[in-house]
Amino acid sequence: MMLAVLAKLPIISWPAILPETIFIGGALLLLAVSALSNKKLSSGFCAVYTILISVAALGSSMYLWDKLSSHSSYVAMSSSIAVDGFGVFVAILVCSITVLIALAGEGFFRDSWGSLEFFVLIMLSSSGAILMAMANDLIVVFLGLEIMSISLYVMTAMDPSRTSSGEAAIKYFLLGGFSSAIFIYGIALIYGSTGSTNLANIATFLADNVLVQNGVLLCGIAFLIVGFAFKVALVPFHMWTPDVYQGAPTPATSFMAALAKAGGFAAFLRVFFSTFGTLRSDWRPIIWVLAVLTLLIGVLLALVQQNIKRMLAYSSISHAGFVLLGLQAASAIGVAGSLYYLFTYSFLVIGSFTVVMLVAGEKDTNHSLDSYKGLARRRPWLAGVFTLLLLAQAGVPFTTGFMAKLYVLSALISAHGYALAVIAMIGAAIAVFFYLRVVVLMYSPAPGFAANDETGAALDTDTGIGESIEVGDEAATIQSSGMSLTRSTALVLAITVGITVAFGINPAPLIEFARHATLLFH
Amino acid sequence: MGNSVYLEVLIILPAFGALVVALCGNVREYVVRQIGFVISMLVLALAVVITVRFHATKAGYQMVVNHPWVRALGISWHLGIDGISLFLVLLTALLFPICLSGKVGLDNRSSETLVEGESVGNGRVKSYVAWMLLLEAACLGSFLSLDLIFFFLFFELTLIPGYFVIARFGHERKVYAAVKFFVYTFFGSTFLFVGILAVAFIHQSQTGVLTFSLSRLASTHFSPMTADLLFLAFSAAFAVKAPIFPFHTWSPDAYSQAPTGGSIVLAGVMAKLGVYGIIRFDLGLFPKATVDLAPLLLTLAVIGILYGAIVAASQRDFKNLVAYSSLSHMGFIVLGIFALSSEALTGGVLEMFNHGIYTAGLFLLLGIMYRRSKTSDITKFGGLQQYAPVLAGVFTLVMLATVGLPGLNGFVGEFLILLGTFQTHRWWAVVAATGVIFSVIYLLFAYQRVFHGQVSKAAAFAGYIANDDAVTAAGGSGDSPAGDSPAGVATKRIVFRDLTWTEGLALAPLVVLIVFLGIYPRPVLERITPSVDRLVTHVVQANRHANLGVSVNHSTAHLSSIPRHPGGAGKGQ
Amino acid sequence: MSIPGSWYLTLAALLFSIGVVGILVRRNVLIMFMCIELMLNAANLTLVTYARMLNDIGGQVLVFFVLVVAAAEVVVGLGVIVSIFRRAKSTTADDLHILKG
Repeated sequence: MMLAVLAKLPIISWPAILPETIFIGGALLLLAVSALSNKKLSSGFCAVYTILISVAALGSSMYLWDKLSSHSSYVAMSSSIAVDGFGVFVAILVCSITVLIALAGEGFFRDSWGSLEFFVLIMLSSSGAILMAMANDLIVVFLGLEIMSISLYVMTAMDPSRTSSGEAAIKYFLLGGFSSAIFIYGIALIYGSTGSTNLANIATFLADNVLVQNGVLLCGIAFLIVGFAFKVALVPFHMWTPDVYQGAPTPATSFMAALAKAGGFAAFLRVFFSTFGTLRSDWRPIIWVLAVLTLLIGVLLALVQQNIKRMLAYSSISHAGFVLLGLQAASAIGVAGSLYYLFTYSFLVIGSFTVVMLVAGEKDTNHSLDSYKGLARRRPWLAGVFTLLLLAQAGVPFTTGFMAKLYVLSALISAHGYALAVIAMIGAAIAVFFYLRVVVLMYSPAPGFAANDETGAALDTDTGIGESIEVGDEAATIQSSGMSLTRSTALVLAITVGITVAFGINPAPLIEFARHATLLFH
Repeated sequence: MGNSVYLEVLIILPAFGALVVALCGNVREYVVRQIGFVISMLVLALAVVITVRFHATKAGYQMVVNHPWVRALGISWHLGIDGISLFLVLLTALLFPICLSGKVGLDNRSSETLVEGESVGNGRVKSYVAWMLLLEAACLGSFLSLDLIFFFLFFELTLIPGYFVIARFGHERKVYAAVKFFVYTFFGSTFLFVGILAVAFIHQSQTGVLTFSLSRLASTHFSPMTADLLFLAFSAAFAVKAPIFPFHTWSPDAYSQAPTGGSIVLAGVMAKLGVYGIIRFDLGLFPKATVDLAPLLLTLAVIGILYGAIVAASQRDFKNLVAYSSLSHMGFIVLGIFALSSEALTGGVLEMFNHGIYTAGLFLLLGIMYRRSKTSDITKFGGLQQYAPVLAGVFTLVMLATVGLPGLNGFVGEFLILLGTFQTHRWWAVVAATGVIFSVIYLLFAYQRVFHGQVSKAAAFAGYIANDDAVTAAGGSGDSPAGDSPAGVATKRIVFRDLTWTEGLALAPLVVLIVFLGIYPRPVLERITPSVDRLVTHVVQANRHANLGVSVNHSTAHLSSIPRHPGGAGKGQ
Repeated sequence: MSIPGSWYLTLAALLFSIGVVGILVRRNVLIMFMCIELMLNAANLTLVTYARMLNDIGGQVLVFFVLVVAAAEVVVGLGVIVSIFRRAKSTTADDLHILKG
């Protein structure tokens, strides 16, 4: 009797969800251990633990990848999970992000507030992102989205010393909840018009039936777009981004910048490219408009920011516009381009925010662009690294940033999106401007001499290094307020810079990786 | 292919040098300068070896390197050199050591920075040398790349060091100039990038092969409309970089605000990147559109020649004057290209080389004068010949080369261009020729104001009279340029020194080439001609095919003018 | 006699719209939060209705997922709201003005 019941239950193919399981199990175990142990767990221990868990998840993702390259992709868990190259690629990316953020977090928390919770939350959030990437059912996408987002809300609110942290969390939570509700309503409408939430079933349904009155379906798709657009911060659904990026503790910002984009775009690409591919003539115009707005408004607003985190937030918005180009191309090369972009961008943004974290100091407060003035004199290595990362974000040749833009634009142009390509490049040209602005600031004389400049405008800042003999005291105070480079943060910077340069000079392996991921698309 | 490694080393060596300089710690300024100089000299030596081993009579690419870089996107590390790029490579390799030698490339801006020279001079020199070496690598890479993506990579890469050289080491309005330079050129490249991708994907849709290799893309067929649009997209980037008339507004600012080394490279090498791009890619990829749109470009070129000359005449700043005169000369080169005859194109390529040499000479001399007087305002000078006869003599020679005096190098290129243009586009040539006369007027006028005239008038402005604090302060600081002068005393005595021997040494190769190429341009011409003939034949044949196949699409004016070239091309020199 | 399914759908759409408008016009954080709940429940109602119309149990199962997620959101959301307003002593969104630009 019992056996008969058991036999009816769906078979759970554990290997298919191994990375997620490892993350969730790891997080729960860490919580349990901390609850049971008498003394507070040190942040070093938590970080090492998180890194081990992430590496284990990375290993399991690699194992899945390895299996995929010999076998074909398959679905598991009542076909609600797709184990394919695409999902595993994102899983590998997410695990790498988690390793880097755990390293950066170790440098940041130092046994102060939240040192345990942060690590638990990044593991939970990562499991959500992987779930989104591997989801083959809209409801699983929704679950992954929520697992990821709810952890991010908490991470945003974690800093007890700054009011802005809580404020950012409320904004993020309200707008995130709002977009989730829109998203689930979209799912409901799609379910109503196609009779299923399973991506494969929907695709089959749409291929077999031509809907005469597809208003409800299109409404549902529009709602899905809005939901995704909120998560990955596309204009005009980006309002939360700068506030949240600014308010959240910097490692959390860096985590959400990389992870929410990776998870969000993974599901976005899968749902629209593979499931609603037959309706592309309906959704491509919407994506076109979103892409144009995102590319241009993102960079234009970034130009006027005085806070580095806000500036990077707007820059991340414009990067989202570039990732969107791959979807607009609606081709395999486009999806590969978007994946490549996400991969390289994640490392760039983590590196950049780690520098921001180091400059911001123990209290995580020095975020004005002024605190970057003269950074090259005080901390030449940090300034050099930041210069490289910013230039790579700007898409300078022989960095990953350039190849990423090249890849998505190739996809777009092979789909005859010439106008959008020109707009994107104009956006990139404007973007260079504000990245260079920070670079010029870093190499300009240290504060205290600002008054000597002919004009106060940041762009007109005198860039001649030096002219500063009596700035010693000022520089010293700023130096002391910055955070010193620990071994773990140095490692983060080394990895991000290494990947940026190595795959910039020899992009072939990574491009092949992204291309294989799309070839193994379910 | 034992030769093939030369080109790779040529690009990698300066890039590696830049890395070494950037990463070396607290080394003395002198050592950094020497590293930079030695590396650029090695590059020059290598370029000379390449020139020697270059087969003069061969028309195609030589020393070709071709490795796949990203197979998935059909990008390959494809390098090669032909008669057109050979002398641009040589020019690049020649000008960079001059910019990096001694202290001539890097100006001190004003008196206040003289003090700074002591405290942080090392960092300043270090980054200057590193950026310049990177710029050299990028320029050489652009001239040698036969893969469109690699060309674009290097073409774009020139912007970053270019920006920093202007923005960090330039004069009063350097940040404004650097940003303007960057924004203009980047917006131009926007269209180039989209154009490159479009060409490759159109080629892919026709042949099923995704490649960015120039030689394979050259066989792509475009509809006339597409070809014209793509031609314009490519030309937008090149026209900004060159600069060609309506896209030139960044150049006077950038040329005059850059430090001497930056000006030399901007006008001498980077301007050539634009024209080189037109020759290599516009003519190579869109022969039909080239013929269709030649009148447009010819007109812009002629306007540029006259406009540049006229505006140059009204400049007070000598560097601005040279910038506008450069615009005028770039107009000549473009005229030579779009005349589409073998003579004119050969003349254009030769003129690219020559213009690089004499413009570098002019900027170098102006830089030397600036170091003594802290100004490049023409009206503040006067009667310099009395105090600096050698400087004045060299200046005369370089200036006469610039105006195209027969017997000096400027003449040969311009003459060939006008000759070739006259055969195919008579009236454009006639109007352009008046530009030569203008250039004589404005340069001689400026020369006269600076080197002759009243000393007392100049003394009123006292830029280089030893009565101000600048010189006194400079006398105190060991490595400041004005400190060379022993006369750092507070009497009203002229301290404008004549050329020092290091400065003379930097100028010497330019002077020698100016005279040598003026008298005996044959070795250069015979290497350029085969490649140019091949290119002109390519353009003419593509148009002939089009005319035979489609027949009625072209306007009669071109039909009558084109078939005449092969005859002219055959005669050569 | 039964009420046609489209009535339920219309009601759900109305509830959803009320929720959207509420978020956009109301300034009290708690009320905005309630509006989100309203939207989620509108989606639930839609799902259930469609499940009945399609004779498919799947849609009703989805509602459970949404309920659980909504509960989790409440926990986190109220926690955040309480933590910040313990300091601010007001629940108006207009008071959240540190972050702007």
